[in-house]
Amino acid sequence: MPQTLSTREANLFRTVIRHYEDKQYKRGLKAAEQILKKNPKHGDTMSMKALILNAQGKTEEAFSLAKDALTIDMKSYICWHVYGILYRTNKNFDEAIKAYKFALKLEPDSHQIQRDLAVLQVQMRDYPGYIQSRFVMLKARPQLRQNWTALAIAYHLDGNLQKAENILSTYEKSVTATPLRTDFENSEALLYKNSIIAEMGDFEQALEHLEAECKGCLDRLAVMELRARYLTELGRKEDAAKAYRALLDRNSEHPDYYKGLVGVLDIAADDEGALKAVYDEYAAKNPRCDAAKRLPLDFLSGDGFRAAAKAYLTLMFDKGVPSTFANLKHLYSDTFKKETLPVLAEEYLKEHSGDSTTDGHANGDSSKGEGAALYFLGQHYNYFMSRDLSKATEFVEKAIELDPKNVDFHMTKARIFKHQGEIAKAAEAMDHARSLDTRDRYINSKAAKYQLRNDENEKALTTMGLFTRAETVGGPLVDLTDMQCIWFLTEDGEAWQRRGDFGLALKRYHTIFNIFDIWQEDQFDFHSFSLRKGQIRAYIDLVRWEDQLREHPFYFRAALDAVNLYLSMHDKPQNGANGVEGSHANGDDAAAEKKKAAKKARKEAQKAEREAAEKAAKQDPNKGGAQKSKDGEEMKKKDDDPNGVKLAATADPLGDAMKFLLHLLQFSPKNIEGQIAGFEVFIRRNKYLLALRCLKASLALDKDHPKVPEQATRLRKALEGAMGSLAPKVKEVIESELAAVPGA
Amino acid sequence: MAEDRQPADIVEGATSGDVEDEVQPTAKSAEDRKAAAALSKLDSRGDDEGAAREVDQEAVKNAMSALGGGADKKDIKVVKVDAADVKLLVEELELPKPKATDLLKAHDGDAVKAMRAYLQPDV
Repeated sequence: MPQTLSTREANLFRTVIRHYEDKQYKRGLKAAEQILKKNPKHGDTMSMKALILNAQGKTEEAFSLAKDALTIDMKSYICWHVYGILYRTNKNFDEAIKAYKFALKLEPDSHQIQRDLAVLQVQMRDYPGYIQSRFVMLKARPQLRQNWTALAIAYHLDGNLQKAENILSTYEKSVTATPLRTDFENSEALLYKNSIIAEMGDFEQALEHLEAECKGCLDRLAVMELRARYLTELGRKEDAAKAYRALLDRNSEHPDYYKGLVGVLDIAADDEGALKAVYDEYAAKNPRCDAAKRLPLDFLSGDGFRAAAKAYLTLMFDKGVPSTFANLKHLYSDTFKKETLPVLAEEYLKEHSGDSTTDGHANGDSSKGEGAALYFLGQHYNYFMSRDLSKATEFVEKAIELDPKNVDFHMTKARIFKHQGEIAKAAEAMDHARSLDTRDRYINSKAAKYQLRNDENEKALTTMGLFTRAETVGGPLVDLTDMQCIWFLTEDGEAWQRRGDFGLALKRYHTIFNIFDIWQEDQFDFHSFSLRKGQIRAYIDLVRWEDQLREHPFYFRAALDAVNLYLSMHDKPQNGANGVEGSHANGDDAAAEKKKAAKKARKEAQKAEREAAEKAAKQDPNKGGAQKSKDGEEMKKKDDDPNGVKLAATADPLGDAMKFLLHLLQFSPKNIEGQIAGFEVFIRRNKYLLALRCLKASLALDKDHPKVPEQATRLRKALEGAMGSLAPKVKEVIESELAAVPGA
Repeated sequence: MAEDRQPADIVEGATSGDVEDEVQPTAKSAEDRKAAAALSKLDSRGDDEGAAREVDQEAVKNAMSALGGGADKKDIKVVKVDAADVKLLVEELELPKPKATDLLKAHDGDAVKAMRAYLQPDV
């Protein structure tokens, strides 16, 4: 039975809440205890206590207390709300939604709970539920514009564009006063509505709306771009061309504008002269413009290309633009261009050799003129489509001779070593390049990466440490993790994997997985924030981007590494606990030796790191106080498995691999490497249907992949033995589907 | 009803527990109150009075009634699904139960058809 509080205790209860809000958890707890002393069965107080405990990081205690509170006081919406909050902070959103719904049933008028529920629903992409919640919220307060916009968003995300537009129009009609020109929310809402109309495919109406309503919108560029697009879609070429020219006058470096303009100009695709004239006009108008000079190289051919490329290269070399090669290598898919460019560079070289020494053409700046051409040729012969490493070395050495202190030249030299397979030499050369400019973060990262490729994790971390925040507790690695430096974590993990330390490798892969989780959760704040700020178009983009988040190649690479590592762990179980010992059974002493060495090195690195941290703490006495509070924070989220020992000791590597694999298959189904890894996992787990699914996908992607027939054979073999034990329906599916798989 | 009386110290986002918004937080002093009021006004552009002035209440009411009942019922095909088939799909295809049920429903409850469809690569 719920107890009622005396006036004094009711006041005390209010202070509990206030203390919680002010994050004065100790005081809050004290007050809660005081109430509970007299009323040990007061559900609301128990719930508040649980909430405070949760905030202090005592999650389990909090949950059991909140449960007790619920059993005592089932009818209290506070208890249910707290229960929902606990689930929410612990990322169990489905359960949180259930709890909120219950709380709402008990207290249907609570804006607070309704709002929390709505945010959770959109976070979980429960669009029908979100529509419902938003509708209730709109009904409660129709005078707030953001409630109308929010309902429109809900319909929009659910795919009901017509309804979304209706909602926005209904609101607009109900507004009597003309909004101010500076009303940002209004401006964005108009453009949002316009984007919905366009999404429905009705460009006629979209254009009409744009011209009638959005003239005064604050995002002028968006209005101009949309107008050009709609005009193009509607085939009004003359107006479209005008619109694109207006855009190019604003920004002559945007390739899409050129593309749009050329698209509506009715120029034959093979009329290179006419096409080039379009670009030349802007090149003449804007002498410093790059796009107008670079883009024609994409479509020009023969002598036209030759002349244009020569002019472009000369300009770039004279200026000494270091990215010249990177900017031109896209042309290499065309054989003629691939062969012409180095010839032109050599010609330039012949004309300018000696320049830098005799007439001081480059004013001592070796990256201009001759140096730039040599650098270009070095990169040319180092590039995979035009590789000739001995020639590459020749040019780079010449360039270095010209200027022994140039970072770029030495960097290219290191890359040539890498392509020669001389990884140790490459790392060394890159570190030398780094030493030439110790304030250049790019070359610093590059050097660290090459050290990782050479399996020098400790050295790499030290290198990275030159640019991380020195005062971070836990050293550079913690800072790199906090800064979500994924490339480093991936390379570090792969290096540890090569060195046989599966624990640390897995640790890194899991860290990356968690970073993507964080990015997923980051959107949480924006469901209400974006509405409040009125930035709806950006918000819709965000939601759609989040839905595709794990397509990212960074995720794919780390996840594939993890899956493959788990597979090898399954095939070759470790005797030892953490993957460092073991494998003696295979008589693989050399590998074991290597692992031992790795372990030792790791210990040393940790020791050094610890010492450095201690030293830093001692050196800076001012930090004493801050340090303490930071330690408190550290305590809460202390990593109980910093070296991944527990990860590597898993009894079910295939099960663990699933966590990574599912996202791979879901978000990158078109990548055959993922499908192949998927097959390997599923066939080991005797999930024949799923293995067959991966195989069929691989087959559709690339039927000539060497792995495909091999996997087909293995699946048939495995099925021969297993057919008898399969459910008849599964058997039927496999028999009919496998027949369509060729080979073996 | 997003930010109407958001207390100044509430942190936006997942970790802000906020039962207490039900209870008006009492500021410690007049100064605090003023500061809190100023702070909460910083971001909220659609605060009640301002918006109410612009909006024709009558029109809003009409608009609301025109909207009708909110979520519209979509036509959902009623398909009977065998629990054993759902279990089979959950086991063999490792789908969560609701998804397995949906997949079956989409194929008229025919487990073989559903599984075959699931195996097809989306090209």
